[in-house]
Amino acid sequence: MDTLLSLLNGFGVALEPSKLVFCLIGVFLGTAVGVLPGIGPALTVALLLPITFKLDPAGSLIMFAGIYYGGMYGGSTTAILLNAPGESASLATALEGSKMAKAGRGGPALATSAIGSFVAGLIATIGLAFLAPWLVEVAVKFGPWDYFALMIVAFVTVSATFGDSPLRGLTSLFIGITLGLVGIDKLTGQARLTFGVPELLNGVEVTTLAVGLFAVGEAFYVASKRFRDPEEIIPIKGSLWMTKQDWKRSWAPWLRGTAFGFPIGALPAGGAEVPTFLSYSTEKKLCKYPDEFGKGAIEGVAGPEAANNASAAGTLVPLLTLGLPTSATAAIMLAGFQQYGLNPGPLLFAEKPDLVWGLIASLFIANVMLVILNLPLIGLWVRLLAVPQPWLYAGILVFSTMGTLAVNGSPVELAQLFLFGFVGYLMRRYDYPVAPMVVGLILGPMAEQQLRRALQISLGDPMILLENPGSATLLGIAFIALVAPFAMKGLNKFKASED
Amino acid sequence: MLTSILKRTALTAVALAALSTAAFAQLNELKIMAPAAPGGGWDGTARSMQQALTAAGIVKSVQVTNVTGAGGTIGLAQLIGAKGAGDQLMVNGFVMVGAILLNKSPVNLTQVTPIARLTAEAEVIVVPADSPLKTAKDLAERLKADPAKVTWAGGSAGGTDHILAALFAQAVGADAKKINYIPFSGGGEALAAMLGGRVTAGVSGYGEFEGQIKAGKLRVLAVSSGKRLENAPDAPTLKEQGIDLELLNWRSVVAPPGLTADQTKALTDTVEKMVKSKEWQEILKARGWDDSFLAGAAFDAFLKAEIERVSKVMTEVGLVK
Amino acid sequence: MTNETGRQGANRPALIVGVLLLIAAALVGYDASQQTITSNYGVGPTAVPYVVTAGLVILGLAHFVVAFREGLPEPEEADNKALLWIAGGLAFLIACIALGGGFTIAIAAVFACTARGMGRQAFLVDAIIGFVLGLFIYLVFAKVLTLILPSGPLERLFL
Repeated sequence: MDTLLSLLNGFGVALEPSKLVFCLIGVFLGTAVGVLPGIGPALTVALLLPITFKLDPAGSLIMFAGIYYGGMYGGSTTAILLNAPGESASLATALEGSKMAKAGRGGPALATSAIGSFVAGLIATIGLAFLAPWLVEVAVKFGPWDYFALMIVAFVTVSATFGDSPLRGLTSLFIGITLGLVGIDKLTGQARLTFGVPELLNGVEVTTLAVGLFAVGEAFYVASKRFRDPEEIIPIKGSLWMTKQDWKRSWAPWLRGTAFGFPIGALPAGGAEVPTFLSYSTEKKLCKYPDEFGKGAIEGVAGPEAANNASAAGTLVPLLTLGLPTSATAAIMLAGFQQYGLNPGPLLFAEKPDLVWGLIASLFIANVMLVILNLPLIGLWVRLLAVPQPWLYAGILVFSTMGTLAVNGSPVELAQLFLFGFVGYLMRRYDYPVAPMVVGLILGPMAEQQLRRALQISLGDPMILLENPGSATLLGIAFIALVAPFAMKGLNKFKASED
Repeated sequence: MLTSILKRTALTAVALAALSTAAFAQLNELKIMAPAAPGGGWDGTARSMQQALTAAGIVKSVQVTNVTGAGGTIGLAQLIGAKGAGDQLMVNGFVMVGAILLNKSPVNLTQVTPIARLTAEAEVIVVPADSPLKTAKDLAERLKADPAKVTWAGGSAGGTDHILAALFAQAVGADAKKINYIPFSGGGEALAAMLGGRVTAGVSGYGEFEGQIKAGKLRVLAVSSGKRLENAPDAPTLKEQGIDLELLNWRSVVAPPGLTADQTKALTDTVEKMVKSKEWQEILKARGWDDSFLAGAAFDAFLKAEIERVSKVMTEVGLVK
Repeated sequence: MTNETGRQGANRPALIVGVLLLIAAALVGYDASQQTITSNYGVGPTAVPYVVTAGLVILGLAHFVVAFREGLPEPEEADNKALLWIAGGLAFLIACIALGGGFTIAIAAVFACTARGMGRQAFLVDAIIGFVLGLFIYLVFAKVLTLILPSGPLERLFL
C-alpha cells in the first residue's frame, strides 16, 4: 500500500505541465538520436545528458527517463526499416522486422514494436515499482556458474535462426565465436588473435559486425542480382495499421517477451541480448504459422521488442535498489543521478522518495508519450521505403558508416565493416544464415568469461556447475531443449512405422 | 601567441571572477582528446573540462574528440604523432600506465609532455558484512596462509583494482604471483559478486561501493589513500594498519611531445585556471571527484614514479613477461 | 537451383569454405599455442580457443563431405559491375578517412557510387546529394551532439 501511495505522489510530481513538456522533449530527442544506426541507447543518453543538466533535478530526471525510453525505441526503427540494428538488443527485431518492412508490412511491424514496447515497459515498470527489493535479492544470488548455464540455454536456442541447413548454421555460429576471441582476454589481459594490430585489441564490435552483415551485406546482395531478380520493396501493402489478426498474433508474444526480458534484465550480468534471443526462438516454436518465420512473421518482432524494453526496465532494478549499473546505459544514468547528489543504492528510496518515485512515474508517462509520438510517425517512416531504391541503399550505406564512425572513427573499424559486408554478401549468396554469427560473437565471450570465473572460484572443479541448483536446472533445460527435437522426430518415425 | 601569453600573465593577478572572455583569451582553441569511446570515464573528464573551460570563459572553443581502442594507447600514439601542437590535450590516468604494458604498446607515457594531475579517487578493500574478516590484518593472514582461497573481485585485468590487490599481497608478504583475482566487467558485476557472497574480498573505487558501505552491506577493511576519507571517516587507511601501501586512481591531462616552454606553460596555466574556476569545482562536487591538482615538475616526478611502480608489480605478478 | 555441379565431381564453393575453415582453425590453434600467460586457477585463456579450433576442424571436414555430395546451393549469376561500384565507393571511403580527407567527401563518394551500382545514371547529381547529406550529418553531429566525425580540410572550415 505504501508503494502505491508513493507512486501516486510520484505522479503528482511528474504530471505538472512543465514536467510533461520536459518529458516530451526527452522522448522526442531520444527517439531522434536513437534512430541513428550505431548510436544505441547508451550513447544517446551520454550525448544528451548535458542538456538535462540545465534543469532542476526533478525536471532533468524526467527528461532523462524520456531520453532513455526514446533511445530504446529509436533503435528498433532502423532495425526494422533499414535492417541496420543500432545495438545488439535490436538484432532479433531486425530478423523478422526487416522482412516485414520489405513486404509492405513495415507499418504493422513498427506498430507492434511500439505497442509491444509500451506494454512491456508498462508491465516492467510496475514490476520495478513493486517487486524491485525482492527481485534484487534473488538477482545477486546469481553466480558465474548460473550465468554460464543461462548462456548455454541461449546457445541452444540459436538453432532457431539456422534456416534449413544445420551445417551452414553451425559454421556461421562458430565463425562468430571465433571473432569473439579476438582482442584482450578479459581475465588475463592477454591479446588473442590480434596479430599485432592495436586496433583489434578491443575486439570485434557487435554493431560493426551486425551492421556489416545485415545492412552492407544486403546492399551488395541486392545490387548483385538487380537485373536478373530485381528486389521489390513495397512501402505499404494492405493496412498501415495493425489488423485484427495482427493484434491476435501479437499480444501473447508481448507478454512472453516481457516475462523473459524483465527478470533477465534485472540480473547484474543478464543484459538485453539473451532475453531477445530466447523470445525469438520461443515465438518461432510456438507460432501457428511457422512457415512465415524468415519471411516476416509479426510474432518475431512483437516478442523480442517487448523483451528488449522489459529488460531495459529490468536494469533499473539493480541500479535503483543497489546502485549497481549493469549496462553501459545504466552506468551513464548513474553518472546522471550523481550530478544531483543522488546516490542510487539501498538508501535512495528512503532519502529521496520524491525523486525516485517521480522518476518511476515519469517512466510510465514517457512510455505513454512514446506511443503517442511514434504511432503517427509510422506513416512517415514507412514512406522512407518509397525512396527510389538506389537512393535508399546509398542512404543505408551512408548511415551505416556514419554510425561506425561516430563510435570509433578508425579506418580499421571501417575496413571491418566493409569486410563483414562482403562476407555477408557471400553468405547470402550461398544461403548461410548471418544471424548465428552475430549471436556467436555476443554469447561466446560472455559464456567463456562466466565459465572461467566459475572455475576460478571453485579452483578448477567443474562440478560446481552441477552442484548449484540454479545452474543445474538451467543446464537441464538446455539439455532437454537440445535433445527433445530429436526424440520427437524419433517418436514420430516410430509412430509412422507402426501405422 | 607570445603576446597573448604575456597579456594573460599580466592579467592572472587581477581576478579570476568577473573579467570578460576577451581579456582572458590566451588559447582561443583547445582540443581535448578522450582516448576512449564516448560515455566512459575519460570521456566524462574531457567533456567536463570542455564544460568548465568554456563556461568560465577560459578558452573560447573547446573540442572533444574520441579515439577508441586498446586501453587508450591508440589515442596516445596519435597524441605523440601530433608533435609540437600546443593546442591539444589528452585525458589519461593510472589505468593507462598498466594498459601500455599489458598491450605491449609501442608508445608510452614517457614520450608525452605531462601537464597536470586533475582528480584522484581512493580505492577501498571491502568484504561482505557477514564475513569473518574484520581488519586488513585478518585478510593479510588469510592471504599468507593460502592465496588461492582468497578470491578477489574487481575491475579489468591489469587495472587499478588488480594492481592494488597485487601490491597488497606484496606488502603483507604473501605470494603476489598466486593471488586469485577475478576480473569482472565493470564495478556493478563485481559488486553483485560481493553481495552474493561469491568472493572473499572486493576492490574498487570508493564511490562505486559507497551506497553499499553506508547501508551496511559491505564492510571496509581499508582505504588506499594516505589519509582517511572525508566522507568515510571510520574507514582506516592501510598505513594505519601497518601495511605500507598507498595508491590513488588518478586522472590527468598530457600534451603532445616537442612543445616549447611557452607552449607548455600556456597549457599548464589554462588547466590551472580551470581547476580554480567555480565551474570546475561545481563539477567535481556533482560528480564526486576529488581535486588532486598537481602540475609542473612535481607531476613529472609523480608520473615517473607511478610508471616504475606499476611496471615492477605487473612483472612480478606475471601479467607482463 | 538444382545442384548439377555436385554430380560432376566436387562442389568448388564448398571445398573453398572447407579450406578456409581449416585455415581459420590453424590460426586460432597457433595463436593459442603462442600464449605465454595463463591463469593461476581454473582454465586459462587458451582453453576455449582450442575448443573452437576443434569445432572449426570438424566443420571444415564436414564441408569436404558436402562438397562431394550435394554441394552448396547454386547461386544466381551476380552483377559484378554493380558490386565493383559499391566496393569501390567503400574502398574510397576507407582511404579518404585514413588519409584525412574528411567525412563529407567520403560520404559523397559512397552515396554516389552505391546509387550508381544500384542502377542510377546521374553520378554528379548523386555526388552532390551525398555531399550535402554528408555535410549536414557532420554539422549536426559536431554542433548538436558535440561528436566530431573524421575531419578534413573542408570540415575544418566549419568548426
